[in-house]
Amino acid sequence: MSGNLYTRKMGDEYKTIFRQCVSLNTELHKLVPLAKKMHLLSSNAVSSAARAGTEGNAFRVLTQDIQLLGDEVSICIGDTQKVIGDIVKQASKLVGLFSNYMIYMDLDDRLENTKMTLSTKFFDQGHRLIVDELRSNNYKLSRSLLVLENLLSPISILVKKGEYLAVCSSVEAASASEHGVSFEAVSSMLRELVGQLRLQSARQRSLLRDLSDAMEKQQNNQRYLVYAR
Amino acid sequence: MRVEQLYKKNGHSWMVMGRDAERREEVIDTNHYLIQHNGRGLLLDPGGVENFSIVAAEFSKHFELANVEAIFASHQDPDVISSLPLWIQANPDLIVYMPQIWVSFITHFGVKRENIRPIPDEGGVITLGGHDLEVVPAHYLHSSGNLSVYDPESKIFFSGDIGAALLPDDSTDMFVTDFDEHTQYMEYFHRRWMPSNTAKMRWIAEVRKRDVEMLCPQHGAIFKGDDVERFLSWFEKLDLGSAWSNVK
Repeated sequence: MSGNLYTRKMGDEYKTIFRQCVSLNTELHKLVPLAKKMHLLSSNAVSSAARAGTEGNAFRVLTQDIQLLGDEVSICIGDTQKVIGDIVKQASKLVGLFSNYMIYMDLDDRLENTKMTLSTKFFDQGHRLIVDELRSNNYKLSRSLLVLENLLSPISILVKKGEYLAVCSSVEAASASEHGVSFEAVSSMLRELVGQLRLQSARQRSLLRDLSDAMEKQQNNQRYLVYAR
Repeated sequence: MRVEQLYKKNGHSWMVMGRDAERREEVIDTNHYLIQHNGRGLLLDPGGVENFSIVAAEFSKHFELANVEAIFASHQDPDVISSLPLWIQANPDLIVYMPQIWVSFITHFGVKRENIRPIPDEGGVITLGGHDLEVVPAHYLHSSGNLSVYDPESKIFFSGDIGAALLPDDSTDMFVTDFDEHTQYMEYFHRRWMPSNTAKMRWIAEVRKRDVEMLCPQHGAIFKGDDVERFLSWFEKLDLGSAWSNVK
């Protein structure tokens, strides 16, 4: 593949990475209302247990765990929102930097026949700066993706915990008499929220995997840029 | 892209570059100017991202661009200055002169504040290697913060968009050869892009105070000799800001 075709392909890949980051941002943002609903659910669970008096003693223990689960989900989601913002910025910067890189490549070709050595050196310095910035931003983006992956990893454990708590709540609902209906309502709402969380998290993991693969490929392409200079 | 020497005497020179045959059809043709004084360079309206490589490569054939110490932006438009980050990438110490009111806008191109030398509304002086160039206000012609540059040594007046012409693609002349014929390419541009007759009269008065041999716009052909006054008289009579209501 010729240098120009190769670099054009790299430019397209950076644009794809940017679009993938934007999609991931959208998907991650869908978790925010889930965290809010989780918080609301834990409050409902506490009220149900309180209304049930002594009948709700065992369910009250479960509500503490539901509350804890809600807090953990909120923290996890809050952290990912911070990181994804940086990821989108870094990806957008890479697109801009690569476009500058291409312009400098074009200038290099044009300067080849010029005897102005100082000018060539002058622009070479700019070119090197862009390559360095590209390399450092590539590294930053890859690192941020790793951080995001780490932040998202507890979600699958939280989902399992939520499923377990939903089952326990159902058991409590079945053994309770008068307040069994409200315990069951908490249980089914929890099951639904956890189900949504599982679905979202699977979609995000898949997007993140594609993104990490694309970034790894770009890291290898980066070496080409360095050798090409 | 054509490069022509407009003036050269005692280590002081002006060069113009324009008529880019390679440019994409949808991109407006632009003129770029390089002033040299004792080996130091100043670029006037270096242009957009689109033509950075060609401007840099063509001027490099005539001047060591490593010696360009400053850039002047007559106003904030992308065809004037969107290549700025690329120039700064090559020379992080580059000085950028620009109208004060556009500083916080042009910094959106990613330029750092320390590179910028804002020029106040009333104009001022740019010194290039000990040589003074006058900066003349041209606000509202067309941008609300707009500046022209006059060089008393060469008697060249860089007018930015004033005097600009949207020439046909096959036009290759760097200078106006038939003024009456040329007005057809200027009229709509001035009436549509420039809003203020008051500003126009003030600017014309400023130009007439000076001894001008050449009037150099950012688009189209350069006015030389008697064509300078011909242009000023034509411009004086033109009703600016009047094109929109007449659009059919």
